[in-house]
Amino acid sequence: MTPLESISEKLGITEPWIEKGGVHWLTLGATNVRELAKAMNELHARFITITAYQLPKEEGFRLEYHWDLDGRLLGFSFLLTGNSIESIFDLCEGVDWIEREIHEEYSLDFQGREYEPLLLRQGDTSGVNLRDTVAAR
Amino acid sequence: MSYKIPMGPYHPALEEPYKLDLICEGETVIDAKLHIGFNFRGIEHLAETRNHIQVIALMERVCGICSNIHTLTLCTAMEGLTGLTPPPRAQYIRVIMAELERLHSHVLWAGIAAKLMGFKTMFMTCFELREKVMDVLQAISGNRVNYSMNRIGGVNRDITDPQAILRLVEALELEMGRTVIPIFTTSRTARSRCAGIGVLTTEKAVALGVVGPVARASGLPQDLRRAAPYAAYAEMDFDVPVQPAGDVTARLLVRALEIMESCKILRQALSKLPPGEIATEGEKFVFTTGTATARVEAPRGEVMYSVSWKEGSRNPARVHVRTPTFAVMPAIRWMVKGARLADTPLIQASIDPCYSCTDR
Repeated sequence: MTPLESISEKLGITEPWIEKGGVHWLTLGATNVRELAKAMNELHARFITITAYQLPKEEGFRLEYHWDLDGRLLGFSFLLTGNSIESIFDLCEGVDWIEREIHEEYSLDFQGREYEPLLLRQGDTSGVNLRDTVAAR
Repeated sequence: MSYKIPMGPYHPALEEPYKLDLICEGETVIDAKLHIGFNFRGIEHLAETRNHIQVIALMERVCGICSNIHTLTLCTAMEGLTGLTPPPRAQYIRVIMAELERLHSHVLWAGIAAKLMGFKTMFMTCFELREKVMDVLQAISGNRVNYSMNRIGGVNRDITDPQAILRLVEALELEMGRTVIPIFTTSRTARSRCAGIGVLTTEKAVALGVVGPVARASGLPQDLRRAAPYAAYAEMDFDVPVQPAGDVTARLLVRALEIMESCKILRQALSKLPPGEIATEGEKFVFTTGTATARVEAPRGEVMYSVSWKEGSRNPARVHVRTPTFAVMPAIRWMVKGARLADTPLIQASIDPCYSCTDR
């Protein structure tokens, strides 16, 4: 069994992996981000980052989580219709700064954790950097 | 009774601003809080307002030292969206530039580390060597800092006389092997100042997801040049130095050994530089809709770019940059816990932080 197949098996997903744009992508279906983080921990994958995208026409946000497994770049996409997603900080310490940064840049909430200011030095408003509706004010 | 000592944003160790609140009991640090953002320039947002040529010039300015690495990673990602593949000669030139930049970065760091150890003669020696590395970079690119070498589908300038560059690299290698490496690896001053301080255990390094020389100095053999080769690294023979101790000495040794490995790679790349074009000249390209991601092993560790584009659009829809210091810097909190206050500047410097990269 390949390392990628073992991830699919661990998460109970039958969809195939798709390699696109330098990333191995797996469609997660109903798997939530915390189940994913636990599986990545069990496989000793290294967390790299989360990339946030604001979707057009108030469709919400897309968060792409990336891990490295023996040189393979893995990608998992989550669509947010609201403004929040569960935090994985308690499962993966390396996620701390990027969750805080996305919280400040896009005003998204990672549920279940507390924040300290990371990038912004003045005021309490979050989302002023990259969230269109806030930045346009 | 504990008390708080604010260190920074004007910093005793480095010329860039960030702030560390050290919670101390007597002379011992018991905890620390890091504050960044003083260099925040909103570069990711600015990137969305630049076209495919302008965005290269912009991202070259994310970092003053590893500027070439940022354009290399960005161009590799954009090549993924355009379908362009740089010719072999361009791939070799990219390796040469990347390794020269690693030499530049590591020698600069060695100088600063020497200064913080109280070893000022060594600081001067390192900065003299750094000048010579910059002379080589200037001989190739015409620039000392922002080299403007990378473009989509190749590089902007050729190396017309690789033998001349090879002679410069050999002179550098000789000088480093004669001075920097033996002093950093055997000097009693370096050992007494660095051994056993600022320890980051392998377990903590894994938990935090640290990268680059800091990870390798904590026993993790991770290096993208080996694990996921890009440019022409698959054709290069080199070792990945790893040290298990996780202290400042280990970080010093890893970087010292990497200097020699970079010289080894440079000798191979310059000797085997293939003939041919340096870019996909005249080939028209369009950006397809989607996201492409590229990773490169920068001097400080893994850099990752995710570039998103909509077909027909003049500008990228999103450019996200994950820099190595962003991944490594949270580890400082764990390195300074239990350390003597006087050791904290050297411990902070030992990760070779780049706040310009971190803040973007």
